[in-house]
This record gives sequence, structure tokens and C-alpha cells, in this order.
Amino acid sequence: MKEALMSGPAPHDTRTTGRSLGPEAITPLVLFGLTILLVIASRWISPNLGGFHQVAAIIVLSSFLMVVAFGQQMVVLIGGLDLSVPSLLTLGGILTFGWSTASGWSLIWILLAVLVVNGVIGALSGAGIAWLRIPPFIMTLAMGIIVYSAALGITAGTPRGHPSAALASLFTGRILGLPPIIYLMILFVIAGTALQSYTPFGRKLYALGTSPVAAHVAGLPVGWLTVATYALSAAVAGVAGFLLVGYAGGATLVMGQSYLLPSIAAVVVGGTSILGGRGTYISAVAASLLLTTFSTIISSVQILEGWRTIIYGCVILIAIAALREDLPLWLNRSLQRPSRPPPQAANAQSAQ
Amino acid sequence: MSAVAGPLRVERHRRPVAGRLLGSGTVMVTVIYLLLLLVYALCQKNALSMTQFSDQLSNGLPLALAAAGGTLVVLMRGFDLSVAGVIALADVLTATHAADGQMGALLCLLMVVGVGLLVGAVNGFLVAYAGLQSIACTLATMIICSGAALLVLDAPGGSVPEFISDNLTGTLLAVPVPLIIALVVLFGWAVLRRTNWGVGLYALGADETAARLAGIPVRRVKFLAFCAAGALYGVAGMMLAAATSNGDPGAGTSYLLLVFAAIAIGGTTFTGGRGGLLGSMIGAATLLLLQKVLFSLGVSSFYTGIGQGLIMIAAVLIAAFSARLARRMPR
Repeated sequence: MKEALMSGPAPHDTRTTGRSLGPEAITPLVLFGLTILLVIASRWISPNLGGFHQVAAIIVLSSFLMVVAFGQQMVVLIGGLDLSVPSLLTLGGILTFGWSTASGWSLIWILLAVLVVNGVIGALSGAGIAWLRIPPFIMTLAMGIIVYSAALGITAGTPRGHPSAALASLFTGRILGLPPIIYLMILFVIAGTALQSYTPFGRKLYALGTSPVAAHVAGLPVGWLTVATYALSAAVAGVAGFLLVGYAGGATLVMGQSYLLPSIAAVVVGGTSILGGRGTYISAVAASLLLTTFSTIISSVQILEGWRTIIYGCVILIAIAALREDLPLWLNRSLQRPSRPPPQAANAQSAQ
Repeated sequence: MSAVAGPLRVERHRRPVAGRLLGSGTVMVTVIYLLLLLVYALCQKNALSMTQFSDQLSNGLPLALAAAGGTLVVLMRGFDLSVAGVIALADVLTATHAADGQMGALLCLLMVVGVGLLVGAVNGFLVAYAGLQSIACTLATMIICSGAALLVLDAPGGSVPEFISDNLTGTLLAVPVPLIIALVVLFGWAVLRRTNWGVGLYALGADETAARLAGIPVRRVKFLAFCAAGALYGVAGMMLAAATSNGDPGAGTSYLLLVFAAIAIGGTTFTGGRGGLLGSMIGAATLLLLQKVLFSLGVSSFYTGIGQGLIMIAAVLIAAFSARLARRMPR
């Protein structure tokens, strides 16, 4: 029995054997499908909704969340959580705003500088987590508070700078009738998915998230992988701040605050397990789109802000409950006998 | 990894006092708190006066109660984000629906505890019985609660009955009422942690499979922990309304991260099974005292966050270091 446990799951366990074509592929499809349905249904709410321009606007609006969710999802994938996202997004925004000049050429240098500054800060968090063994939750929370406080002190509350016309044209310009940011986002999502699913680095993160001990035994550089992941998350949070400056034409100290909970929501609604080792970026992208679409539609409905918030919360709850990968299994089990211990407990018992 | 936690805990009882003290996060945070208090006393003349103490207690109690509730969930390796929503909801309910007088205060207490229990029960059901991730579904319940808070009161305002705002922040027989409330919570915890539920909570946090095999009703323990946490958040919201004398539907947001900071400083490990309510409550007090100390040292209030962040990291490192030291001490 012990041998069987070690060598792998029993063949009848569909949760594991069917995973390559199972929930990981279905979740994003369901989420994309729901988003499309929602867009079509929104026509009934208001004739202004559901049009071509509105869909483009929603994609633009959700691009910041998609970027942030990439970093958050990578961190959750290795079993952590990045609470420094809002502060690092703000930092990226403040730096971009402060450094940007009228000419368009310096943009790429600003972006690189933001990536480096944020990356170093993220790497520091990663180092604390990897080598000082500080829990990710606490390390990133502390780092977030420190960065925010430093930004607050240095800017004395009001970030100064120039709006960048070149950056703004990412959102106001048109290539084939669409804002350039949409093409950039498509590239970003492809690059993100490729990094996560088709590079050794990405696959190692799955191994690390599934079992840090096993990853260490297998000879993976667990410490460096952790540092790289947190650096990556901080860097893309900076990118989101960079883009937001282009969208909003300026930076504020609170610009990041509204992205912490949505980034977590996008990741968990996208089916990524908070315990690590499971989930794909494309699902988080789909979840970002769904959540943004929903909040855009609901904000055009004439109801009290409180009801809007409640409905939004309910949608997240329903999405989380409905997209459980073992929902059929759980329903089956709870219909048969309400309080039977899960199979792995029974297995472990007989192994002993 | 978790298999090691079991036997270690048993051995701890036989350890000499010095080793036990070094290994305890609660003792560490108390030492940090006292050191800060010393610094504060040196740079502020009236630092140790009764009014100062009483002020700090009533300002700190909402965070301390919320952190105490959050600790119950963190002890079993969960996260409860609903704290922000419940505090906001209880806060605005106190500012709009509470009546004056003793009965009014009592009914208000029942109301906020009831709301907290309800939200806690929903969380508990979703996590323990439906098997959802705690961070995910408490995120949803948090959003729902803050929406409900907006429905009750759509902008900061309302008024808290004088009986509540005066008595809950005043003194009773020369003892500050917030201190009494904190002690009541700690006494309740001291009793509860010795019950089957309390023992189960620690066992569950240390190793869930082992706890289940040992016959602990894992689901019920989890469910009740979320309920108790919710009730504490409710009381925290009422105390917040009493301390600020009005209601604010956005009041909870600033508490979300501070609660986890207080728990971390208080020595409760986020890997479950270790820590306690007392540490978190002292951790909450430490966070607030730190603000005062930095202010009296002449540090701009902009930069207090740097101090808070550093002290969080320091507290965790000190706790880890002293725990290692304690393990190496001769038995």
C-alpha cells in the first residue's frame, strides 16, 4: 500500500490523470465563455453596452489587472502571496511620472529603469523569504508598507512629473482601429504563458510549488527560483504602474491600492490553488477579463453602490465555488454520505 | 516537515524555563513592547501616565480584537480577509442602529456579535464543509460585507450613542474599560484553548491529516474557529465606532493589512499550530506604540511605515532565532 502511494495516484483517480486536458484547459474556456455571454447579455441592460468599442475599452481597462495578475499568479504558484503589489505598482507609477519627459525615445529607458528598481526590491523580498525563511505573507506585507511609506515621504504626498504623450498614445492611438495597448497585451499574455508553461524556469516553478522539499532534493535552486519569482512579480507590478501613468496621465499614491484584492481575486477565480503548484496564467487572464467586464457592466446599472459591491462579491464567490476542479467529485461524495473523510485520509490510515 | 511538529510540542513541556521563554513568540513581543515603552518614556514625559495609557488602550483595542480573531484562523493555516468587511459593517451598524443607555449598548453588542457570527458561519461553512480556499471565499465575503456596510451608511457619518462612546472608552472603578474587555477576551481564550476545541485547533494547524486520524472533528473545529473570529471582528467594529464616535463604511480597509502585521509581530506562525491571542494583541499594541515612539523621536509621520515594516521583519527573525536558540539549550 505504501509502495502504491509513493509510486503515484491510483488509476481511478481522475483528478490527477485527466489533468493535462482537464480543469487546466477547461477553466479558461469557461471563463472566456462567461465573459462573452456577459458582453452579449449586457445589450439588454443598455444599448450602449456590448458594442465593438466597449469591448475594446474593457480589454484596455483590464490590461493593468492582467499584468499585475501575472506576477501574483507566479508567486501563488510557488505557494506564496505577494501583498506588496499595490506599493510596487505605485512606485512604478511615481518613477515613470517623475522621469518621463516630452520625447518619446526615453520611454523604453524609463521602463527598463522601473523594471530594475522594482526587480531589485522584489528580489530583496524573495531573498528574505528564501534564505531568512520569513513567511511570504509577512515579508511582502512589510516590504509593501516600507516602500509605500518611503514613496509617501519622498514625494511628500504629491508625486510630481510630466504626463508622457508617447505613453498616452498607447491608449489613445489607433492601429487597425484598436488602441496599441491591446496588441501589446496580446504579446504580453503570449510571452507570459510561454514563460510559464514552455520554459524550464516556468516548469521548475510548478515543481517548487507542488513540493519545495522534493524540488530541493531534485537539485533545483529553490532559493534562486524564489528570488526570481518575487523579482518578476515586483517588476510586472511596476509595468502596470508604468502603463497606468499612460492611461491616467499622472501618478498618485493610492493608484496601486485598488489592485491588491483584484489581483488575488483574478488568481483564485482563475483556479490557481493558493497552496501552490497548480493553475495557469491564461486562466488568470480570463478571470481578469471576466471580473473587469462584470464591474464595467454593473457600474452602468443604476443601483446603489452598496448593492454593486455585494453583487460583485457574490459573483466572485459563485465563480470560486463553481470552478472547483473537484466539484463533481465533491457533489457525489456529499450526496452519498455527508461526513465521510476524504480518500487520502483513508489511504493513509490503511498504509499505517 | 509537519510530522516533526508533533513530537517537538510534546518535548517542550519538559524544557527548562529559560528555553521555554526564548521559544515563545508572546514573550518576545512583550520584550519588544517593553523596550519601545522604555524609549517612549525617555523621550516623552507623560508617557507612562494613566491618560496616555488609557488613550492607547481605546485606540488600540479595535485592532487588538481583530488581530485576536484573525489569529484563530491563522492558527489553523487559514487566512481570513473578511475582517475588513465585518469591522466596517459592525462600525456602521453601531453608528446607525444602536440605542442609548445600557439596554441599547447590550442590544448593540448582541447585534454586532450576531453579524460577526453570521459572516463567520458562512466563511466556516465554505471552508470547512464546502472545502473552498479560505483566502478566496473570505475575500468574497469581505467584499459582500463592505457592500452591506455601504448600504447601511453610504458615507462617513452617523452618531454613536453617548453611553457607548463614553463608557467603552472610559474607566470602571479606575480600570480602563478597554483593558477589561481585552482581559475578558483573554480569559475566554484561556478557558477555550483548554477545551477539546482549543486543543483541536492547535493540532489541526500543526498537521491536519494527523489531527483527523487522531479523531478530531476537523470540520467542526474549523467552522467554530471562523465563527469565533467573526464574533471578535464584530466587537472590534463596535469598539472602533465607540473610539471614533462615528461610523465609516470604509473603516475596515486600513485594518486588513494591520491585522496580519499584528499577528506576525505577535509570534503566531503562518504555517499554523503555534502562537496565541495574547501575542497578537500585544503585537497590535506594539504597532500603535511604535507610531507614537517614532513621532516623539521627531520622525515624520510619512515614514512610520518604514518602522512598522522593519519591526515586522525583525520580530519574525528574532522569534525564529530565539526558537532555534531554545532548541539548542541543554535539557
